[in-house]
Amino acid sequence: MKMAVIAITGTAMLFTSCKKENNEPDPTINLSKLAEGYASGAATKVVVYTKEATISTGYTKLYIALYDSVTNNRVDDAHIHLSPLMDMGTMKHAAPYENPDEEAVNHLFPSTVTFIMSSMGGSWTIGISVHNHSNGKEGSLTIPVTVTEPAKTKIKSFTAAHDGGKYFVALTEPASPKVGINDLEFVLYKKTSMMSFPADSSLTMTFIPEMPSMGHSSPNNVNPTHIGNGHYKGKVNFTMTGLWRLNMDFTSNGAVADTTQYIDIEF
Amino acid sequence: MKRFISTISLLLAYNHLFANNSFHDTTKVIELNEVVVLGKTSKQQLVHFYKTNQASTLEDILGRLPELSFVRRGAYGMEPSIRSFSGGQINVLIDGMRIHGACTDKMDPATIYIEPMNLQNLQLQTSTNGFTSGSTIGGTINMKMAEAGFSDQPSVKTSVLSGYQTAANSFFESLVLNVSNKKWAIRLNGTYRNSSNYKAGNGSVIPFTQYEKTNYALSVKYRRSAYTYLKLDYLGDDGWNIGYPALPMDVGFASAKIASISLNYENFRKRFQSGTLKIYANTIRHYMDDTKRPNVPMHMDMPGYSTTAGFISQSTLKLFNNHLLHLSVDASATYLKASMTMYAPGEPPMFMLTWPDNRKIQSGVSALWNIPVDSNWNVQLAARIDYFGYELTSQSAKEQTSILGYPSTSRNNLLKNSSVRITRNLHRNFRISAGISYSERMPTASELYGFYLYNRSDNHDYIGNLLLKPEHSYNTELSTQYQGYKTKITITGFYNKVGNYIYGMLLPGYSAMTIGASGVKSYTNLSSVIFTGFEATVISSIRSDLFLTSALKYIHAEKSDRTPVPFISPAKNTTSLRYQKNNYSIQLEYEAAAQQKKIDANAGEDKTSGYQLIHIRGGYNFNIKSTNLLVQTGAENLFNKFYHDHLDWGNIARPGRNLYIQLKVSW
Ligand SMILES: [Cu+2]
Repeated sequence: MKMAVIAITGTAMLFTSCKKENNEPDPTINLSKLAEGYASGAATKVVVYTKEATISTGYTKLYIALYDSVTNNRVDDAHIHLSPLMDMGTMKHAAPYENPDEEAVNHLFPSTVTFIMSSMGGSWTIGISVHNHSNGKEGSLTIPVTVTEPAKTKIKSFTAAHDGGKYFVALTEPASPKVGINDLEFVLYKKTSMMSFPADSSLTMTFIPEMPSMGHSSPNNVNPTHIGNGHYKGKVNFTMTGLWRLNMDFTSNGAVADTTQYIDIEF
Repeated sequence: MKRFISTISLLLAYNHLFANNSFHDTTKVIELNEVVVLGKTSKQQLVHFYKTNQASTLEDILGRLPELSFVRRGAYGMEPSIRSFSGGQINVLIDGMRIHGACTDKMDPATIYIEPMNLQNLQLQTSTNGFTSGSTIGGTINMKMAEAGFSDQPSVKTSVLSGYQTAANSFFESLVLNVSNKKWAIRLNGTYRNSSNYKAGNGSVIPFTQYEKTNYALSVKYRRSAYTYLKLDYLGDDGWNIGYPALPMDVGFASAKIASISLNYENFRKRFQSGTLKIYANTIRHYMDDTKRPNVPMHMDMPGYSTTAGFISQSTLKLFNNHLLHLSVDASATYLKASMTMYAPGEPPMFMLTWPDNRKIQSGVSALWNIPVDSNWNVQLAARIDYFGYELTSQSAKEQTSILGYPSTSRNNLLKNSSVRITRNLHRNFRISAGISYSERMPTASELYGFYLYNRSDNHDYIGNLLLKPEHSYNTELSTQYQGYKTKITITGFYNKVGNYIYGMLLPGYSAMTIGASGVKSYTNLSSVIFTGFEATVISSIRSDLFLTSALKYIHAEKSDRTPVPFISPAKNTTSLRYQKNNYSIQLEYEAAAQQKKIDANAGEDKTSGYQLIHIRGGYNFNIKSTNLLVQTGAENLFNKFYHDHLDWGNIARPGRNLYIQLKVSW
């Protein structure tokens, strides 16, 4: 009996010392797996994770994990390029996206795609091309994605009055709104062709939060200002729970671009 | 006289003090028990006089004192004010205990928990010496609950009182039981009141003036030795469906539980004359309700909770040359929270903290030194220091309050008060008394932390201001009294200069939370506000069977820009004549209020016309064997006047002619 205990303890110690690397917490613990495949030519397995189990229209974070398909070791240094595509049968268009840095963060490559419509209108795919810096090989794969329309949309588009351009604005923060001071962040893109949606920083943004059923606002909000890559950051104050509407105004050097758009937040 | 005084507790040491010295002016102790004690102050005689209607609420009786007025938002729960100071500017205490209302709309001042049946006496201190039981600029109302006295022979006394009133089709039932012997003195009482909507003078029914409540109290005294006894008090009060026609909501249910235990010592022959150590706790729940109101744009729930615990330690020492030193140490902690949940169809509930969870800690020491210089001069010195600390107690309260952008959400202040009063007998019948004082008061939780509290009077939401400074006041009071063989005349003038006066100011750029409100206000400190006025009382036995009382009051208050201060009572006179012969009494009362044209429109006030009312009352007292019966009947507002008082919010009409009848049986 005593022997058995020692044997078990010893085995356990052996086991833990061998698997030392795997003792760190799984970086994908709170994420859902969206898709998995091999980037042919790069000898790399690609696994895509998201925060939510279902993907909705708007600013969507994708966490990409890469593995060497031979050794199954994680690849933390790679160049990844996304190419989201919507096939509507008669026409195709892309969507705004943000490629990850070449260095993984906690073994994951964070990137984003801003889905500008749901899969009701056609089928979304995301092309992922990988340059695996550890083996020097390049390759790509395409994953299908189903995008649903949420109850409260987090993305709006408008045709600007001052230049006739088509802009997309998506809410990125607050992800979990609360009563009090909340970080507020939007991302702004301009459509320059069916395939090109670069980040835009040319517009000035102001907003007023409102509870539509009561007609009141909240005090001491901070208008979002551009902080880079089309991201605008400010503060929004919620005085109570419920349905809040963020009424947004966009201007370009004093000329009105749009004053009609709003995004609802419910908590 | 002296023995009577020795039965009342140390809280009334002032009374004792002035009874000994025959300097009655400084503190008005008003006895409300059945036995008429002669030779008391004008205030006591006045209240006795109006205690005749046994069904009266406490407000009815107190409203006859010229120093007091009531801000009225409904038929029930009127907010007392002393010379136009109210709310956080005055202390309203029950047996010295602090009780904080649980309603953000001030529906529940502590006066609602005391039924006249349950009140032994009332201690009213005006501005110049009102701070000894708590830093305040406006004064203190201390309601002393009734208690049984020890008796040499075992004794059981019971009274039952039942009454009916026509204006609101209301009735009330009350029971008092006193059981005592040498060791024990127990008093148990209960009152039930049920009132429908009352009829105004034009015959119209005023909706949302109904109420229903029970009040029950137990007081147990146990004598430990010749000079000490233990006392346990419990007071409970439950109210249902209480209408507040001047507010957008009523009360669905409200409940108060008030408890204390005290050790009392009295030995007036010793240097250490008396002392009390009391530990107390009370908790109040208050649930507002709008489900019975028509045209409610959005249904909401507004619960409020208040809990206070504390102690009071008081002692009276007799020093050399009959100097008396009254010392007090007390501390308390009050927890408040109130919230609002609004329901819009198809949306998640809208939840907000109207009083973000907060705690107030108060601790103070006070000393009052009475110096009888000689038989004609008396000097009284008093001082008090209070430490106040306010703090938010929950993460959600802190996060919500952070929206307002204050550098800190807690407050700490040391408040200082002091006064001097000199009394001089100029003549055998004539006395003059002058007092000056400096006092301070802490801003209230609503004034510091309130979050979009709707004020129906000015139709604004109010947000607290954590940078408010304490209010302070320089007070002067001059009183003269003539005491003749049949007539007593008292005239008191006062002048209070209040600095850092807390006043609601528009916050531009803020949007009102309440649907239909005109805007948002916050509190600010005004540099200087002046309150001045006088009270005059005449009490006279014209004949052995004819008794006259008359009280007149006037207050003028203005801000530094000479604009009026809101909610100042107009000049008022109450005059009564009572004829008493054998077992019968008939009393005629005249009540008159002048018009009030000095108004502050920003506070939602409008001008009010004057009014005159006549009341008539009669009583018949007789015995059947050892049972005493008292029948009372009368007509209030005899001529069915349609009127409202200037301090009535929303210009809601007062009751029209009210006939009442009641029977009290004691054995
Ligand atoms: Cu209330």
